[in-house]
Amino acid sequence: MDDIQAVNALVRRCVTGDAAAWQEIVQQYHRRIYNICYRFSGSPDDAADLTQEVFIKMYRTLSTFDTARASLMTWITTVTRNLLVDHFRKGKYDRVTDSLDATPGNQDDGLTLVEKLEDRSAGPEARVRSQETQKLVHEALRKLSPELREAVILRDLQDMDYKDIAIVLKVPEGTVKSRINRGRTELARLLQRNYKQVS
Amino acid sequence: MPSENQSGMQCVECEGLLAEAIDGALHGSTLAAFEAHQQSCAACRAMVEEATAGMHWLKGLDEAEPPRNLVHNILAQTIGALPSEHAVVSPRGDGWFDKIKGRLATVFAPVATPRFAMSFGMAFFSITMLLSIAGLHLSDLRRLDLSSKGVTKTYYSTQARVIRYYENIRLVYEIESRVRDLRRVATPEKQQEEPTPKNQPKSDNRQDKDRRNQNYSRDGNQPELAASPAGNEQGMNKVTNQARLRGPQQAPPLSLVGCLNRRTA
Repeated sequence: MDDIQAVNALVRRCVTGDAAAWQEIVQQYHRRIYNICYRFSGSPDDAADLTQEVFIKMYRTLSTFDTARASLMTWITTVTRNLLVDHFRKGKYDRVTDSLDATPGNQDDGLTLVEKLEDRSAGPEARVRSQETQKLVHEALRKLSPELREAVILRDLQDMDYKDIAIVLKVPEGTVKSRINRGRTELARLLQRNYKQVS
Repeated sequence: MPSENQSGMQCVECEGLLAEAIDGALHGSTLAAFEAHQQSCAACRAMVEEATAGMHWLKGLDEAEPPRNLVHNILAQTIGALPSEHAVVSPRGDGWFDKIKGRLATVFAPVATPRFAMSFGMAFFSITMLLSIAGLHLSDLRRLDLSSKGVTKTYYSTQARVIRYYENIRLVYEIESRVRDLRRVATPEKQQEEPTPKNQPKSDNRQDKDRRNQNYSRDGNQPELAASPAGNEQGMNKVTNQARLRGPQQAPPLSLVGCLNRRTA
């Protein structure tokens, strides 16, 4: 509760024109916004540009932030998501979505993905640490549809709870869960196709 | 596809609980029913496995490192200030200077951006280049005499320059010549009575020109002194008297008389 009050006080100072408060907000949230933009757009340069745009938009509209409706983090994430959607609609980022035609039954050896992953000495989290694997997962994430991509980014990369994600995405909580499940499943199937490359 | 099995849970319910199940948020009978459904439903079991694997892949992604100059660029584009690593967050309302500074920073934030600075620079460069092409230099302003005498002098000199320019236009000169010929035809006798500067020495031509130029700005109804031969007071008086006799309607314009005298000479 103290953190919320401190953040709200920071916002109030910022609205009154305190440059130091604004600098503190930028320092505190730029990494998070950059990561959301980077995972959504897939490009570091685009992510940097989008992050700057997000903060410019925030700076102009910070006075509209209502502390009673949502936390600052949720509000910032909403601003970020709206900007990403706008850019996506403008066609700046091409949607590269594969179909979900890859089923577990298509595997050559008849093993499920989990069985394959379990065959490894280390788990997926350990294996994904390598640069090559990181790259493949990142590319697979880009191939998800924007609706699924933003849902899994907010949940699995930003650790937001379903309620806040529902506020950000402006959809019911059930829809959020459904999108997260579908996003995770589709990502696993896309990686399963490239399983040989990953391993 | 089995929609319901011995556990009593349908696939739709299983899918709805999938997120909580992966998060480990299911407990008690719900968890038992969910696990029982998985044991009997291969499709749901595969779905759970894939979703779990997808979550692990995503969780394994490292946080991307933002560019070093990102914060600097953001602050430059918003408040136009450079980030200070040791910046101390001063409490609001420390002093009147800080308040004014903060308010001004907010007001000028939209224009205090690199883009605006670039536009301003380009505009300044364009204006400077145009002034240079037009022959205007800012250094000329230093020599500008802004006293009352200086302003009056500048006014009259500019006026004389404009009139001189106007009089020297070929078209104006030709029109005046035609008008003068017409007047001479209409009043041949009077024109003949006017003194002709035939005996004017050649050395006085320059002075004559100068005097004519000085009289260009005068009223056309006045007699043109420069039209008379230099030193010929008698001739000058004749012209003056003729002009007075003709009155304002008959008096030829100053420049016409001058041109006539030049032509006659």
